[in-house]
Amino acid sequence: MLKFIRNHADKIENIDIFPLIGLVIFVVFFILMLIHVKKMPHKELSELSHLPLDLQEPNQPLNL
Amino acid sequence: MQVEKFYYDNKIVRNFAYATIIWGAVGMLIGVWVALLMVFPSWNVSNITVGSESLGLSFGRLRPLHTNAVIFAFVGNGIFMGVYYSLQRLLKTRMASDLLSKIHFWGWQLIIVAAAVTLPLGITTSKEYAELEWPIDLAITLIWVVFGWNMFWTIMKRRERHLYVAIWFYIATFVTVAVLHIVNSLAIPVSAFKSYSIYAGVQDALVQWWYGHNAVAFFLTTPYLGLMYYFMPKAANRPVYSYRLSIIHFWALIFLYIWAGPHHLLYTALPNWAQTLGIIFSFTLIFPSWGGMINGLLTLRGAWDKVREDVILKFMVVAVTAYGMSTFEGPMLSLKNVNAISHFTDWTIAHVHVGGLGWNGMLTFGILYWLIPRIFRTELYSKKLANIHFWIGTLGIIFYAVPMYWAGFKQSLMWKEFTEAGQLKYQFLETVTQLQPFFALRAVGGTLFFIGSLIMVYNLFATAKKGNLLADEAAEAPALEGAYHQHAGEHWHRQIERKPIPFLVLTLIVILIGGIVEMVPTFMIKSNIPTISSVKPYTPLELQGRDIYLREGCYTCHSQMVRPFRSETARYGEYSKAGEFVYDHPFQWGSKRSGPDLAREGTGNNKKTDSWHYNHFDDPQAVSTGTIMPSYSFMLDRDLDTASTAGKIRAMQKLGVPYPEGYDLQANGELSAQAREIAANLKKDGIETAPHKEVIAVIAYMQRLGKDISQSQTAQK
Repeated sequence: MLKFIRNHADKIENIDIFPLIGLVIFVVFFILMLIHVKKMPHKELSELSHLPLDLQEPNQPLNL
Repeated sequence: MQVEKFYYDNKIVRNFAYATIIWGAVGMLIGVWVALLMVFPSWNVSNITVGSESLGLSFGRLRPLHTNAVIFAFVGNGIFMGVYYSLQRLLKTRMASDLLSKIHFWGWQLIIVAAAVTLPLGITTSKEYAELEWPIDLAITLIWVVFGWNMFWTIMKRRERHLYVAIWFYIATFVTVAVLHIVNSLAIPVSAFKSYSIYAGVQDALVQWWYGHNAVAFFLTTPYLGLMYYFMPKAANRPVYSYRLSIIHFWALIFLYIWAGPHHLLYTALPNWAQTLGIIFSFTLIFPSWGGMINGLLTLRGAWDKVREDVILKFMVVAVTAYGMSTFEGPMLSLKNVNAISHFTDWTIAHVHVGGLGWNGMLTFGILYWLIPRIFRTELYSKKLANIHFWIGTLGIIFYAVPMYWAGFKQSLMWKEFTEAGQLKYQFLETVTQLQPFFALRAVGGTLFFIGSLIMVYNLFATAKKGNLLADEAAEAPALEGAYHQHAGEHWHRQIERKPIPFLVLTLIVILIGGIVEMVPTFMIKSNIPTISSVKPYTPLELQGRDIYLREGCYTCHSQMVRPFRSETARYGEYSKAGEFVYDHPFQWGSKRSGPDLAREGTGNNKKTDSWHYNHFDDPQAVSTGTIMPSYSFMLDRDLDTASTAGKIRAMQKLGVPYPEGYDLQANGELSAQAREIAANLKKDGIETAPHKEVIAVIAYMQRLGKDISQSQTAQK
């Protein structure tokens, strides 16, 4: 079991770069996300954030 | 636009709510009991015989029962309660199938019952939070699919086009838990209740902690964030502080979380690059986590005056604050210099309980107090009792966490202290006996929290009794129009929010990146796990002994991982190497040292005689005064099950352990020979015992630990 993927290569050169690549992927992803989110129109955002509250709730909040 | 009339299913919500309340109390009670076992070790009961099985109510078997009960029974049912309530309302539709809802509910409860029966019987894989054996794992997979199927079917027939942020968290939970559960549970069955993990040693450790950490992430965190994004705005009656922040929070959190597992393995034999990956991403996790916390707390902007009066908001504020505290602490614990102090100590226990009791516990309580009166169409039975619960619960958390932080620091510093002459200052045992007062205080904190939850049980059942369940709650909403025409310049994320399947696929891709980058090289590259020629497979007797070690949950108190610190090599011997564990299906590195590390138990200064082990298993207190180890005297009388040996050897061969061909047939012969040798050794020390007793196998395993590596050193010299 797992022999087919185990120990295919003896060693890997410069594996230390992996964390760096991982971090770069994330930072790029994060920045793209920020730009996109920044561009979202306020009206839409407000509409979406009201989704849980705009529902028909016959039972109004009880004064707990 | 035609308005359609439909009914929300509140019965399924009530069922999951009741299950949450009941299992929560059970899980917490077991928690209090295991806490007491560390103060009064003589209360461990490990010798009740049920048929051919031994029923163990000792710490090693009950601790997994506690963790499984609170994670999967309490929080699990809490998730489903919240999801079934909020999903229907956010999508303006009833759950797609009442039948699937029922199968999901009863299937999940049956799994919990199966766990409650099998774990005390010692039926366990020994992988933390994934202890349940393969037939139950299959059932979990099946029921999880039923949950996902029902959820997606409901999403498909929705009357609200956009999926609110809470639903993204539910989708991410569904898909990630499925991946984690399947990958970590892959095992070869040996019998109906026994299997071996297909991974060994370092690889098993990496997969397990990738799972273990993400069980925290995707079972205890993401679904609860979804619940926070729904129930906090409801309770405060105002929208979430920033929807923008929730988008960033969601994607950054699920992307980062999946990489963080290796921080459970710092300074171990895991390749260094994988440890570094774990540190970087764990540290970065503070940003999305705090984004979520800030979003939750600021939802109360302008409503803080309500927090003084509204007990539900009080619970929620403490929950989100505890979330913020534990997600600040988590990244700090992932730094190597902090982890060197915290790992294997009670600091970790304090950390998980700030999250477990604070975040999961208090949020669940808040939601229950909000939800039960609503579905029962009445007011809460007693606001006063709810307030008492709040204060007693909050005090309980403090009484739990503070002594554990203290104990963690104390023990770690004691482990590391040397005398001026360069000798270790404290025996391991002293570092445990000095913690007794803290263990006692922790039990007080746990008891307070438990009493609080009992008050809630009474309060909520009295509320239910006073009201009437509105099983089918009428609602109205216009049907979705067939085709949606997106308007010019519409944001791409808004489009994704309308499309559940592309959303699911995108989520899957995001969570797979981290796992793949960490795991594939660990499996493929030989240099990550250098082989050691003197490391040989276990003898059949040792293998059987190892399985008893697993069965009794010895890993809950003993590690098998010597870290490369002077304080550890001086205490235990040579630090552990990746190549030592290549035949360990599953790995046994452990996560907590309430007892000493055992990686070098059979070699060097740690080696004890067979008779020492025999007497120690019989009556630990007689051998080590003050120890909190339970007695395993039943192993002295119980016969070893040798009928399973051949099957176990064959399973190991399938996993690549190099036993010679046909060895399964000779294995029991060799087992008997080795057992007779140990029995003869014991006889020399005046102990008469038959060689086929379980204790002999465990002694064989103890004596093997670390032996291979010491042989390799002797050969080098």
